[in-house]
Amino acid sequence: MTDLDHRYPGPEAEPYGPPSGSLADLLERVLDKGIVIAGDIKIDLLDIELLTIRLRLFIASVDTAKKAGIDWWETDPALSSRAARDALAEENARLRERLDALEGAADQTAGAVR
Amino acid sequence: MSASTAGPAAIDLVCAFAVTRTPPDPAGLAAARGHEEGGPLRVLRAGGLCLIVQDVPAALFDESALAERLNRPADLERCARAHHRGVEAAAGRGPVVPLPMATLYRGDLTAARAVTARQPVLNTLLDRLRDRTEWAVKVHAAEAAPEASGDRGTGAATGSGSGSGSGSGSGGRVYLSRVSARRREQRGAHGKALAEAEAVDAALRRHAVAATRHRPQSERLTGRRAPQLLNAAYLVADARRAEFTAALARFTAGGAYPAVRVDASGPWIPYSFARWDEDPRADPDQEVPS
Repeated sequence: MTDLDHRYPGPEAEPYGPPSGSLADLLERVLDKGIVIAGDIKIDLLDIELLTIRLRLFIASVDTAKKAGIDWWETDPALSSRAARDALAEENARLRERLDALEGAADQTAGAVR
Repeated sequence: MSASTAGPAAIDLVCAFAVTRTPPDPAGLAAARGHEEGGPLRVLRAGGLCLIVQDVPAALFDESALAERLNRPADLERCARAHHRGVEAAAGRGPVVPLPMATLYRGDLTAARAVTARQPVLNTLLDRLRDRTEWAVKVHAAEAAPEASGDRGTGAATGSGSGSGSGSGSGGRVYLSRVSARRREQRGAHGKALAEAEAVDAALRRHAVAATRHRPQSERLTGRRAPQLLNAAYLVADARRAEFTAALARFTAGGAYPAVRVDASGPWIPYSFARWDEDPRADPDQEVPS
């Protein structure tokens, strides 16, 4: 992973080989300063570097995780905004449960005191 | 999946990849694939120029959908690679101006209008990029020997040899002078590496038409322990490519400048020199005086 490719073909080699898979290099070029200049629309992205780091983490993790048969990245809030919403919903549900339990306990205690 | 078969309810946007003067080879274009979610690549005529485009579903490519997707690493990568494929498909017959990723229009009419309105800039760029390719060069400080790196003084001999004195004085003072000596050394090494990086850049510029710099990547991104000192791109004429790569090879092989490590990739389609929203003539700094 750390080893972005640095070999380049000689003068007679095929032109325009996407110099092998260096995603950071590609993103640096296809993204215009972290912004997608989208003709009719303009979208602000996270910092390119941040995205690239997350991308590298993501790829590294997916590789490792796949080998271990894990699919945690689909629910990792750092890696997916959908997962972030899921995480919030989950936390919400957990809190509700606890609240219900506490309220139930409080009711019982109040009943016992009376 | 394909936008053209998605039914009458699906609204398409037009995604533009690149501008050329001559239309790309139709067979090559038909064989290439842009975004997986979109239709086939096609050529849109605009003024005297060709715009290579693809219809893509608005549900996936409108502002909010795209912002969400592009902030997801896996989708960002797919999108970047798809864009690069579209640009590559446009190249091959004369010069090409690659557009930034996800350049989207609401229809053929606005896309063509955008190109026509920028025709003078695009023509200047096409002239400038003809028979030229881009080369990416990164210069890192050479990684320090393990015992000299980091700043955690343990009081053990560092082997750096300088300024540590005879060790007969108070332990604290010896320690402090050793630490400051090491700091000085590191600063000196860093200055030397920076100077060498500049020398590499100056040497490469002599064989290039233009040069520009990207922001150096952090150590977190490169995965190296040494800082990236230079993240440069060079625009090189095909006629001088051999001499450029020969010069580059001397640097990447190491030896010429021992304080740095030089890595390169290329040839690239000249993305870094094709900003069509900037007037290339208004940026004299970029041009290497010949």
